[in-house]
Amino acid sequence: MTATTIVDVKHLRKVYGKANEKQYEALHNVTFQMTTGEFVGIMGASGSGKTTLLNILSTLDQPTAGSVRINQQELNQLRGNQLADFRAKEIGFIFQDFNLLENMTAYENIALPLSLQNVSAKKARPMIEKIAQTLNINGILAKYPTEISGGQKQRVAAARALVHQPSILMGDEPTGALDSKSAKDLLDTMQSLNQQQHVSILLVTHDPFSASYCQRILFIKDGQIGQELKRGTKSKEAFYQDILGVLGRNEQTGA
Amino acid sequence: MLVKLSLSGIKSRFKDYLVLFSGLVMAAAIFYMFEALATNRSFIKANATFSVAPFVFQFGSVLLAIITLVYILYANSFLLSMRKHDYGLFMMLGAKAGKLGQLIFLETLVIGTLSVIVGLLAGWGLTAVVGHLLIQRLDATAAHFNALYWPAILITVIFFIVLFILMALINQRTLRKTPVLKLLKSTAQPTHVAVKPIRTAVKMIGGFVSLAIGYFVMHQIGVFQLAGIGIALVTIVLGTYLIFSSLFTWLLNRLQRREKFTSRGLNNFILAQLNFRIADYNRMLSMVALLFALALGAITTGMGFQKNIQTYTESAPYDVVLHNPTAETKKAAQKIDTKRSSQYTFKVKKQQVYFVREQFDQAPLYVQKNWRKDQIIPKYQLMSGKEMTMAEAPSWQVSLRDLLLPRDFQKDIKLVDQAEFDQLSGQSHTVKAIVSTDFFANLDAIKKTTQLDQKQNHSPANYAIGSTKYDFYQIMNSVLSGLEFMGFFLGIAFLAMLASCLMFKILSGAASDRVRYRMLDKIGAQQRLLRQAIAKEIGVLFILPGIMGIIHVLFGLQMFTVTKLLPEAYHDLWLPFLIFLVLYGLYYVLTVKLYQKIVLTKEP
Ligand SMILES: Nc1ncnc2c1ncn2[C@@H]1O[C@H](COP(=O)(O)OP(=O)(O)O)[C@@H](O)[C@H]1O
Ligand SMILES: [Mg+2]
Repeated sequence: MTATTIVDVKHLRKVYGKANEKQYEALHNVTFQMTTGEFVGIMGASGSGKTTLLNILSTLDQPTAGSVRINQQELNQLRGNQLADFRAKEIGFIFQDFNLLENMTAYENIALPLSLQNVSAKKARPMIEKIAQTLNINGILAKYPTEISGGQKQRVAAARALVHQPSILMGDEPTGALDSKSAKDLLDTMQSLNQQQHVSILLVTHDPFSASYCQRILFIKDGQIGQELKRGTKSKEAFYQDILGVLGRNEQTGA
Repeated sequence: MLVKLSLSGIKSRFKDYLVLFSGLVMAAAIFYMFEALATNRSFIKANATFSVAPFVFQFGSVLLAIITLVYILYANSFLLSMRKHDYGLFMMLGAKAGKLGQLIFLETLVIGTLSVIVGLLAGWGLTAVVGHLLIQRLDATAAHFNALYWPAILITVIFFIVLFILMALINQRTLRKTPVLKLLKSTAQPTHVAVKPIRTAVKMIGGFVSLAIGYFVMHQIGVFQLAGIGIALVTIVLGTYLIFSSLFTWLLNRLQRREKFTSRGLNNFILAQLNFRIADYNRMLSMVALLFALALGAITTGMGFQKNIQTYTESAPYDVVLHNPTAETKKAAQKIDTKRSSQYTFKVKKQQVYFVREQFDQAPLYVQKNWRKDQIIPKYQLMSGKEMTMAEAPSWQVSLRDLLLPRDFQKDIKLVDQAEFDQLSGQSHTVKAIVSTDFFANLDAIKKTTQLDQKQNHSPANYAIGSTKYDFYQIMNSVLSGLEFMGFFLGIAFLAMLASCLMFKILSGAASDRVRYRMLDKIGAQQRLLRQAIAKEIGVLFILPGIMGIIHVLFGLQMFTVTKLLPEAYHDLWLPFLIFLVLYGLYYVLTVKLYQKIVLTKEP
């Protein structure tokens, strides 16, 4: 398998606030790459710019300067509907607060991205059933979000993010609202998705335990990528210790 | 400090407040507009010739009060939905519930008072403009109509102030009783409604039966009289509600099962939205359907009266009849687009009036045909002098008498040949009978000519036994244009109220929909698709009560044809329907635009 670049970010800058208002630079010259099939974590304290970065990568927000390529496509060149279509086809996104539609069943929620691309009901059914199988939620497909647990909700959200086989799965603190057991389940699932189905995953988190599932971690601080940490062949536990170490040192330098 | 915070909250949501405020102003304005008519007894007495008119207006008043109450409730829930989060936050920061209660109480009252004041001004203007327009358009005689009417102002002020104090109390209570966390989390959403087959079937059957009873009673209104109106009202209200809470939910559920349909674009999402909306809107939609029927019915019957005027105007054969016309009158008559003009000479004796037979051979006279059974107005045929014999019932005598001035009405009519006529002593008079190509197109010229003729012959301007089309027009217009005016006025007031009501109910749900649309946007739904989804969803909410309302009207008009009040009520229905639907459509477009603005604008 040849390793192609799935995410290519160069000199990214994001300034909030209009010219006449108070300005705030949330991202400052961010550059990094990610290859297909990688499981990358972006870690940083609250307010460090993680969500800002992910929103730009997922085309929800536009950068002030710099370039982003996802799956060879330069995002700057996309406009309006093209952006929406790109988002619908190429990107799967899981949010911290699930973002399920509470007036539709789990099945219908998962089917949404497919119907946006007008995939026929006949073709959609096996796709939905397969991803439900993978995420172990086939028992609750007929239920409404209010009738299932937080962990299940997040699995449904993950299924919805993956059902149309996007090039990359992005998560903005997807375990943030889950209890530790559900969080671990979800992370295990993401890991097996990555290892067995070769899904590229970009995970944003401030939690070291979540981060320890990644193969590579980029540390972001005050809108800048500082250190990078690779897991290599280390065990998850050892990697976890490494992460804690980095965080500790950051704290000391920060203090 | 709190007041400051609260004010800044209002400032940051100024646009939403503007929507709320204009809605309240509208409610007050429409309420006033209606009351300006309903409380004006002398106006009703002068313009409604039938005895149930005051009853109709009182009934309308009560109905409008209920609607306004419901409307204010919706507007208020819109206000609360905007404020809940803010106040929840203040409480988290340690503000006391009692203090916040006072604040919301004040806020509600201030908004209420302001909107009543502005609403009264707007209502005054609206009443003047609508009244003036209608009077002018309809050539109506709306005696005692007054745009600025004190009793109406008083009632409006009292009604709204009481309402707002009530609202303020409710809001205060809600804020005190709701736990902080609930305030912070937006209002709990109803999610989905499952269909219970048996209950739905029972409701549906009950609905159809109630409607059938209502429609039947309206058809047999001659038998049931006033009680019929009461029965119809109850059964139709009930039937409408039952149909809404069964048939439409059932239809939606059927649609939701058709995968071919649901798997396209946002169809499934729209259905899901409608599913919980309709459950939530049942009462609302039934009410709107009813109001829709009343408003459309009012405008349709209003126009029906207009048609009545036109129909009865055709009762006479001639548009104008001139008596010894002067040069001035002749000149005025030349302005009329004339199809047929006949001149006859006659001499007046003490007991007789003599005409020349030969003149009718040259220019035959319009004489009434025998009356057939299903005829509404008399029909005429031309008759020549030879045919004017004494053998048959001499209806030509009646026609000739109609050409004379009132002072000669009592005399005998004789026909003589020219030679004999010349022998008669006395002055010879002329009468000229004119038929125009189109009465209403020539109304102005006809009016002027008639008035000149009346003035010159010193005949009273409004003698009741009219014999020309213009006379009939005048009589019918004075009787019916008042009714027509009321119909339009009521129709417009009801329409404005119902549409604003629907608009508000929909808009008050917009805040919670924002999240849903934002999510769809995030997973890559195009803006165009989102806009369409909103237009479709709201479209269904507008169309359903519209259809129900139209059906109600179509059956309700039976009351007017059966009682012969409007014999041709079903003729040319498209015009009032078109006018009404255009206005309703405008409301729809406005609602969609506002909704899209609230829901799709991305928050910074
Ligand atoms: N829409 C916005 N306007 C202005 N400032 C913002 C906006 N969104 C985020 N910020 C600021 O940018 C910084 C980074 O925010 P964010 O990317 O949300 O951080 P994180 O997700 O790492 O907690 C924060 O200081 C935040 O206050
Ligand atoms: Mg964040």
